[in-house]
Amino acid sequence: MSATEPTEQPMAETRSRGLRISKDNWRIVYAFLAAILLFVTGEFVHPGFASLGSIESILTIASFVGLAAAGQTFVILIGGIDLSSPWVLNGAAILMATSSLGQDGRSLYALALTLGMGALAGAANGVGIAFFGAPAVVMTLAMNGIMEGLTLGASSGMTCASCASYAPPIVQAAVHGTFLGVPLALYLWLAVIVIVSFALSFTRFGRNVYAIGNNSLASYLAGVNVRATTVILYMLSGIFSALAGIALVGFGGQASLGMGNPYLFQSIAAVVIGGVYILGGRGHYLGAVAGSVSLVTLVSVLMTVNMPEYGRSIIYGAAILVLLLLYGREQEEA
Amino acid sequence: MQADRNQASLRASRSAHWIGRNIGLLLVFAILAAAIVLYCAIYFVQQNTLPGNFELTSTVNNTMPLAMSGLGQAIVILTRGIDLSVGGIMDFTNALAAIHMQDNPLSMVVWTAVVLGAGALGGLLNGLLVGYGRLQPILVTLATLSIFQGVALRVLPEPGGAIPPRYTAALVNTDQPYALLYVLAAALLWMALRRARIGVALFAVGNDEQSARAHGVDVVRTKVIAYTLSGLLAAAGGLCLAANATAGDATSGNGFTLTSIVAVVLGGISLFGGRGNMIGALAGAFVTTMIVNILFFAHIDPLYQSFYEGLFLIIAVVLGAALGGLLKRGRG
Amino acid sequence: MSDGAPGTAGAGEPAVEATRISKSFGGVNALEQASFSARFGEVHALVGENGAGKSTMIKILGGRLRQDAGELHIKGRLAALHSPLDAHKFGVRTVFQELTLLPGMSVSENLLLNHEPRGAFGLINRRATDQKADALLADLGIHHIDPRALIEDISLAARQVVEIVRAISQDPDILFLDEPTSSLVEREAQWLFGHMRRLREAGKCVIFTSHRWAEIAGVCNRISIFRNGRDVGSFDEIDEDEAITLMTGRRLDSYFPARTEYTPAAPLLETRELSGRGLHDVSLSVAPGEIVGVGGLAGQGHRELFFTLFGADKATSGEIRIGGVAKAIRSPRDAIRAGIALVPEDRKSEGLLLPMPVRDNLTLAILPRIARLGVLPLGLERKLTSRIVDALKVRTPNVRNAVGNLSGGNQQKVLIGRWLLAEPSVFLLYDVTRGVDVATKREIYDLILRLAAENRAVLFYSSDAEELAHLSHRVLVMREGAVVSQLHNPGLSAEDVVSAAMKATLAS
Repeated sequence: MSATEPTEQPMAETRSRGLRISKDNWRIVYAFLAAILLFVTGEFVHPGFASLGSIESILTIASFVGLAAAGQTFVILIGGIDLSSPWVLNGAAILMATSSLGQDGRSLYALALTLGMGALAGAANGVGIAFFGAPAVVMTLAMNGIMEGLTLGASSGMTCASCASYAPPIVQAAVHGTFLGVPLALYLWLAVIVIVSFALSFTRFGRNVYAIGNNSLASYLAGVNVRATTVILYMLSGIFSALAGIALVGFGGQASLGMGNPYLFQSIAAVVIGGVYILGGRGHYLGAVAGSVSLVTLVSVLMTVNMPEYGRSIIYGAAILVLLLLYGREQEEA
Repeated sequence: MQADRNQASLRASRSAHWIGRNIGLLLVFAILAAAIVLYCAIYFVQQNTLPGNFELTSTVNNTMPLAMSGLGQAIVILTRGIDLSVGGIMDFTNALAAIHMQDNPLSMVVWTAVVLGAGALGGLLNGLLVGYGRLQPILVTLATLSIFQGVALRVLPEPGGAIPPRYTAALVNTDQPYALLYVLAAALLWMALRRARIGVALFAVGNDEQSARAHGVDVVRTKVIAYTLSGLLAAAGGLCLAANATAGDATSGNGFTLTSIVAVVLGGISLFGGRGNMIGALAGAFVTTMIVNILFFAHIDPLYQSFYEGLFLIIAVVLGAALGGLLKRGRG
Repeated sequence: MSDGAPGTAGAGEPAVEATRISKSFGGVNALEQASFSARFGEVHALVGENGAGKSTMIKILGGRLRQDAGELHIKGRLAALHSPLDAHKFGVRTVFQELTLLPGMSVSENLLLNHEPRGAFGLINRRATDQKADALLADLGIHHIDPRALIEDISLAARQVVEIVRAISQDPDILFLDEPTSSLVEREAQWLFGHMRRLREAGKCVIFTSHRWAEIAGVCNRISIFRNGRDVGSFDEIDEDEAITLMTGRRLDSYFPARTEYTPAAPLLETRELSGRGLHDVSLSVAPGEIVGVGGLAGQGHRELFFTLFGADKATSGEIRIGGVAKAIRSPRDAIRAGIALVPEDRKSEGLLLPMPVRDNLTLAILPRIARLGVLPLGLERKLTSRIVDALKVRTPNVRNAVGNLSGGNQQKVLIGRWLLAEPSVFLLYDVTRGVDVATKREIYDLILRLAAENRAVLFYSSDAEELAHLSHRVLVMREGAVVSQLHNPGLSAEDVVSAAMKATLAS
């Protein structure tokens, strides 16, 4: 750096020089590599594991985690978290079945009602967090309890008349059916991936999300409506949890109690493995997608080798730790 | 502004400062008192008599697991961390105790030590990963939760085993609320810890790690200790869990992960760390149990119990924040 | 407290010697083979522009950072420092720019961290701790800070004082102070200088950095100048212009640009009896092309005024008019839409998104305007941001570089650039030259004048009376949330501004 007059030439409009991958983006690559490695391991351990059909079913299961992870990604990006996901999901699954009564004709109505419920629960979270200053952990934890209570109470513990209903055939078909050999559920997920990724990377809304996640005060002082954005993000998280519930009840046919519980920690793990910074401001949904696939593949590999539940649990936890140690470490502050 | 102050005003301001710093604790005790009063009122309406020794004893015994795990969680949260593996540790400690503890004093003592040691080891693992590994607490403990749950299932695949009645009588005596002594002991231990070097270190790390390090606090060691203590206390909670239930269950601890956080929050302790009185978590645990009691005696449909608990939590937090804000504005 | 180190050397003996130190961060060379030395019995000033490397050198000497290359000798002994504690063993204490206080703990707990008086069972005695802290403060001449108060509840200036007290009370042989006066008021700065002189007379070594020449000239007896990561000279005496030339590598004559005239016209910014929390019935007006400065002692309501004008603080009564039209300004968004911009004082916590690119930081406030149906116009964004980066001469390889990688002065330029892009009619500037180096300050002054020349209304607050006196057409003096007097240019001097501020406080 010379001590003479600063350069007179105007700065060239720089285009990305080649494929300059930022550190954050490398994490996404790693997560996908981990998924591929797991598929290879599975094929090695149990030939046929990486067959097309098997891959498709694994990806379908991963899509459910991915849907829940979409909501989680949004709120984690602004430094929050959504612990109400399990019972919003569960409530949505039950509501979908009971309000549609298994009839195609009522499915649109049921869909609107269910997604609306998710949005409402999410909005309540957002309002509590943005307007009343409740910490995200507490507010969403409380909301989880509220949804659990409402769901259990309103369905009388799943003993109500309509509780044994199935999801409408059209919804079931939407999850199970295929188009061009690919399960429709994956098309749904692809649509979600495209929309969410586009929103985060190319819209003003997405830019605001990252800004808030990095410094909400500075964002506020630059004219960003922090509160409204927060409410919207939690509302989106509620909608995605509900969507996951709908997809799951379409997949399984019937709703059950507690079906949402595994998805909380799985969605958080998927988001984090995918390189989204738990304190917000950095990361992308594509990473969460990779994380979802990795996690579900891992569980599948373990099931394929007939690992008993306790072993699956231990290895699952250990695998997450290994992944974290590899690239989840805090950066040393210069 | 630049007025000189004398000893008298120094003394006068001390209580004001103490109140300011411990407002969370005062609040939770106020809520606890209100809950007790409400409970007594509802009980009286139902039974035409005030709750007696039996109710007190069973309330205390039911609270023990949450009180222990809540205190451990509070210590970790103090350092700006979180421990999601609490439930897992309670799972495998209660399973371990149920399977191995025999009805003789030696076995009881030995296995108490082993179980507590196991919990501490689990906590140590967390602490090492967070402290040396520099991994985010929420993620580490998420992973170890899974590991500990797996260990619990291995130890006790089906509910079973039994805790000797003598042990239950010693730990969570069903006739008299002797368990309160353990709560008291825990509280006193914390108060001593608070005034020791480690106590200062815990607060310092929770406030600002970099600054703490710059002033000679061994941040890594402090975190390791915090998580180890949490594991130890969760194990104590697991023992109480087993003693209460008289049989072991490798999944009965799961709910405590999140409810221990509730106890901490109700106790007025900031989730951002560095502040608050950890004894609040003990009080918060009791408040939680009282709420359940109140809902029961008010004949609230048990299916809706979670709803009311959730609602209560929101109200408590929002009120607490509002009060805190008012007080700050009043003083500032 | 310097256990293990050789006995305190006499005056004139070398205290610290840094030889050919190099340090780089992510490819940017903060220090390149820079050498620095100071002796006992002197107050040594380390000066240079932002990004010159002074802070980095102090962090290395204080043990906060480790050098990539080069050697350190402290008291004549080779020193390999891995933490500030290692430096402590040499009798070195440092007051870094980023305070290392614990916000949720009290003043006394911070002052006596790890040195608390103990009682029964080796447990800390709280009362004794508070009393000892009180004594420490009193010994050093501080009487207005309550040792029981929490750090987060006391003012920034008080926190700085506490940090300084902590360092001095540990009886250092070598004391480093990095920008110690940046948050202090005059009286407190004088208090600090008194202690610095006392330490010098006791044969200790004091090394400090500052951007204020008056301080440097007044108290130090040796100056070292850094530029672009290298040392360019050490002097016993040097005059300001020469020093500035060495610091910047070019000649900068007469510090302040000449004020432009403005044609009186209907006010662009006007308030009528504006009140809020900490603000009382403020009525002011700024015409297009006019530069109005706001002065007064620190903490008299300036921040409340600026934040209320911008909608970030709530106004309880009164009105704000822009261009004669009353506007409801209840949030920064409203303010921006009304054509007001606020450049806040703390760029790191209130202004910039450090991990995000320069481009994103620059366009944040105008996204609503340039987004097409919510989608970001990336091409347009690149064009706009490249243009403003060139215009402001922001030193960055490209607009996608994270703003956190830039030096302080360049960061400030990015922050100002964001608001220039918003093209507001009213510019509120809150202490924008704080912690900014000489050359950048000059560029900012030019910018302020250019804004006025473009017929915008400029209202600015500065803690520097010189700036207020030279740049403003008028200066409003505030006390306790109200405007109590007004001074007019031409003919205004810094002394006038300061005495008006003091008079306002005394008169009551």
